[in-house]
Amino acid sequence: IQYERVGADVTMKCGSMDWDAAVTWTVNGTDIDESHLNGSYLVLKNVGLSQSGQYSCYEGSSWHLKYQTYLRVGTPPKEPVLMCRSNNYPKGFYCSWHLPTPTYINNTFNISVIHGTKDMVCERDAIPKNRCHIRYLQLFSTVKYKVTLTVTNALGKNFTTLTFDEFAIVKPDPPESVVAKPVPNNPRRLEVSWQNPSSWPDPESFPLKFFLRYRPLILDQWQHVELSDGTSHTITDAYAGKEYIIQVAAKDSDIGTWSDWSVAVHATPWTEEPKHLTTEAQITETTSASTSSFMAPPTTKICDKGAVVGS
Amino acid sequence: MAAAESPSTALRRRDLCSRGIRLAGKMRADVVDLLDAYVEQQGLDASASVAAVEGVPLAAVERWDEQTGTQRLLENLAAYRAFRALLAQMLEEQREQLGEADVGLGRALAAVLLQVSAFAYHLEELLRLESRGIPGEEEEEDGPPPPPRLSLFEQKLRGLGVLRELAQWAVRSVRDLRQLTKPSPATGAAPGLAESP
Amino acid sequence: LGDPQNLKCVTHNLHKMLCTWDVSSRGRHGQTDFCYSTNDLTPQVCFKSKERRVEIPIPESSITVTIKSSGTAFATKEFVIHQKDISFFPVTPHILSLTPDFPTSTLNLKWSDNGSVFPYGLDALWQIQILRKESMEVVTQVTYYSKLTHEDTILSWNWTSDIPLECTSHYVKIRCYVNATQFVGPKDWSDWSPAEVIPGKDTEPGESGVFPLDPVVAVGSDLTFCCVHEEDQHITNMSYGSKSYTMMQLSRRSHAIRVLNASVSNSSGTNVVCILENGLEGSVVFVGYAPDIPQNLSCETSNLLTIKCTWKPGRPSGLYGERRTKYSLFERTSGKNISCEVSEASRDHVCGFPVLPDQKTYDFILGVSNPIGQAQSSLLVDITQRVRPNAPEKLTVTGNNSTSIQLRWFINGSFAEIRLLCQIEISSSYSERKLHNVSMPGRKSSTYTAQLNALHPDTEYQLRVRCSAASHFWRWSDWSKGVEQTTSEA
Repeated sequence: IQYERVGADVTMKCGSMDWDAAVTWTVNGTDIDESHLNGSYLVLKNVGLSQSGQYSCYEGSSWHLKYQTYLRVGTPPKEPVLMCRSNNYPKGFYCSWHLPTPTYINNTFNISVIHGTKDMVCERDAIPKNRCHIRYLQLFSTVKYKVTLTVTNALGKNFTTLTFDEFAIVKPDPPESVVAKPVPNNPRRLEVSWQNPSSWPDPESFPLKFFLRYRPLILDQWQHVELSDGTSHTITDAYAGKEYIIQVAAKDSDIGTWSDWSVAVHATPWTEEPKHLTTEAQITETTSASTSSFMAPPTTKICDKGAVVGS
Repeated sequence: MAAAESPSTALRRRDLCSRGIRLAGKMRADVVDLLDAYVEQQGLDASASVAAVEGVPLAAVERWDEQTGTQRLLENLAAYRAFRALLAQMLEEQREQLGEADVGLGRALAAVLLQVSAFAYHLEELLRLESRGIPGEEEEEDGPPPPPRLSLFEQKLRGLGVLRELAQWAVRSVRDLRQLTKPSPATGAAPGLAESP
Repeated sequence: LGDPQNLKCVTHNLHKMLCTWDVSSRGRHGQTDFCYSTNDLTPQVCFKSKERRVEIPIPESSITVTIKSSGTAFATKEFVIHQKDISFFPVTPHILSLTPDFPTSTLNLKWSDNGSVFPYGLDALWQIQILRKESMEVVTQVTYYSKLTHEDTILSWNWTSDIPLECTSHYVKIRCYVNATQFVGPKDWSDWSPAEVIPGKDTEPGESGVFPLDPVVAVGSDLTFCCVHEEDQHITNMSYGSKSYTMMQLSRRSHAIRVLNASVSNSSGTNVVCILENGLEGSVVFVGYAPDIPQNLSCETSNLLTIKCTWKPGRPSGLYGERRTKYSLFERTSGKNISCEVSEASRDHVCGFPVLPDQKTYDFILGVSNPIGQAQSSLLVDITQRVRPNAPEKLTVTGNNSTSIQLRWFINGSFAEIRLLCQIEISSSYSERKLHNVSMPGRKSSTYTAQLNALHPDTEYQLRVRCSAASHFWRWSDWSKGVEQTTSEA
């Protein structure tokens, strides 16, 4: 295989044939126009990705195949983007990476993890391929971890290095199974519950604290509350009758950073059942009064206060 | 299997542990603040990696989850005693080098020293609760051998190393004390120190 | 064959010369008779010599020399040497000592001028070369003048390096030229002395660090810092404070940076950091000001027991802790010296000095010093003319009638040797504030009394008192606390 950079000028000789020999060049079986020839040499100017392919050269009269190569046009790798994170502290941490721009040719990635003077093994995950994980041999260390990712392909090489403290990369996954329910007979309350992320191995020794944010859909401003323990909370200041969007985030109670927000769940606080009156007029009067203040979505029954479960 | 623990001892230990967790948590917050102020005041680079400094107890530990409760308490106690001496020396050097130039840092240092002393005493309480002898009381009088005379920059780096390790130790202590309050899987009761995982 | 040839004579001391000659190849071995005669010296003087060199006195004008070589064949040659043919260059100087003073990066060179070998006083020039680095680059060459006095005099010369002596090896060589004006022969510099070396830290195995270590320097100084490291260690960066600097290589184990016009450092000093592949070295430099001359030095006493001197310190030095500016009060007459406890942070600078028995006049020198410099102020004062008592205390009314009030108060202090002047301020709602002066002999920590007369009956008066020295008034004390008293009805 012959690798060339995008934009390069490529010249191919027809094997051992003399310059002035009569030859025919094909790409992927198609004859190449003679304008690309310089004698028996094939000259490709400012090659582009589309010019990748199999190039063959045949002797003019005998059609003997004199030369054949597979041209791969691509780019050298740019500095890879590397990220390391511990979402299962204190078991270990994983590092994942990607290239900012494609190279169109095969790249090989090599990662080295050094803790002080120790080389640590980064076990590659089967899926996704651009990820590996490291088991903590020591905890509570002030010695920094140094991760170096080197990417190589036929056209070049690049690397990136991350240096970080043990605690700095601790970031749990978002809380799971977030549930928000109205509280019967309490028009201003919503009961929210969730679970520790399943990836967090030992919540008892390494408890998480949580951050709840909620807002009525009609407003942009979130309200926040931080909860140092427990996996449920009752919102007591909800606007009556307004649908709320609720999310939760988690953080180790002593170190690291907050998780991403959980999947959003929606819920509307409990509202009074409309009373059944004797005369027709009173009913229409009440109904019109209520609909004007609160337009329930057409598909939803007004009393349908079912909780919406977030996964 | 340690003798079954009396309810009052278990209650007393749980109380000591939870108070210890709060004290260690507060200490960590104060040490982190002090560390920031120290780095700025001493003109250091916060990200500088400091080689292990002789005499500063390292919080790093292997197979942490396999330690017994007594091991945890003894290692904690030894560390905080060492920090007590190191912080006292830092305070002395601070006065010598800066006089009254930065009273704030001196006060913050003294405040952390007080908390370290209190926490060491707290650990001794926990060990006494388990009728375990307090190690090295005698050596305590003369304290650790005075460290070698360092240059000013080495003193600054040592100070950085001390505060960094202390901040790590505070987290480790919280985790250790939580381990002591965890019910042991078999009996469901809080484990005797020797056997806690 | 075997003729003596190329006779050359040189002198190192202007009264003897060393003559050497060659003999053609076949005649190299065997005894030589060397005879010489001068026009004022008969008979001839001869020497037997195996070596082809002999030392003989320098002639006033010329000398005839006959050399008989008895080697394999007899050969005799006669030479006439004139003074102008004799070349003169002093003996290679000998360095007695080369002493480094690392804190000031100064080299002190001592050598003997070998003056005793010369018959009479002469002007001598000394060229001193300072070389540096493994490549022995010439850093500077200085010419030093001295007078030879027919005695061996030890000469001394100081040189301050622009880079710390620890940073790399420094070498010193010296040579001499004697300006013998009466000597007509060719004159030249002596040979260079062997180089004396002050080895840098970069030559000591296992040594590493930033130098100078923890210096104190004046604001505006141009500084050089070097990082000495192991040979296999790569330096990634050298910084002063928060700024990285371009490095100069001094040797395989020493790199340096140059900081110009250093500005005042903060209280914990400015860090000079050398980041190596696997390690960190550093030094802390304290950049501050030399102390200003203390201004408005003034001394007084409130009790004739202790003298309190105050002054304005001037610009803060920027140095703290053990490097802070220190003050001492020296009294020349008694020779007593007091070091003053003055904190940098406090605005007012005060120092106490005991009143000495039987001494009224004090010749004070306030000395101020810090690692960068020193200054002083002086003050000659008769302390009895600088009395400012403490504010009178316990002012009480001891008696009154319709037209007078008796007062008593206490003053702390030893005033037995002076008279006190006290001023009583009296005011009432009917009359303006009046001041009454009363003088009394001073006493030791005593109470004093006074009576105010011609007051109005049944009138409420506010009274307070202050005092000073009666003779040589200096300053009033502060006012005492006030008291109120109503005169009785008529």
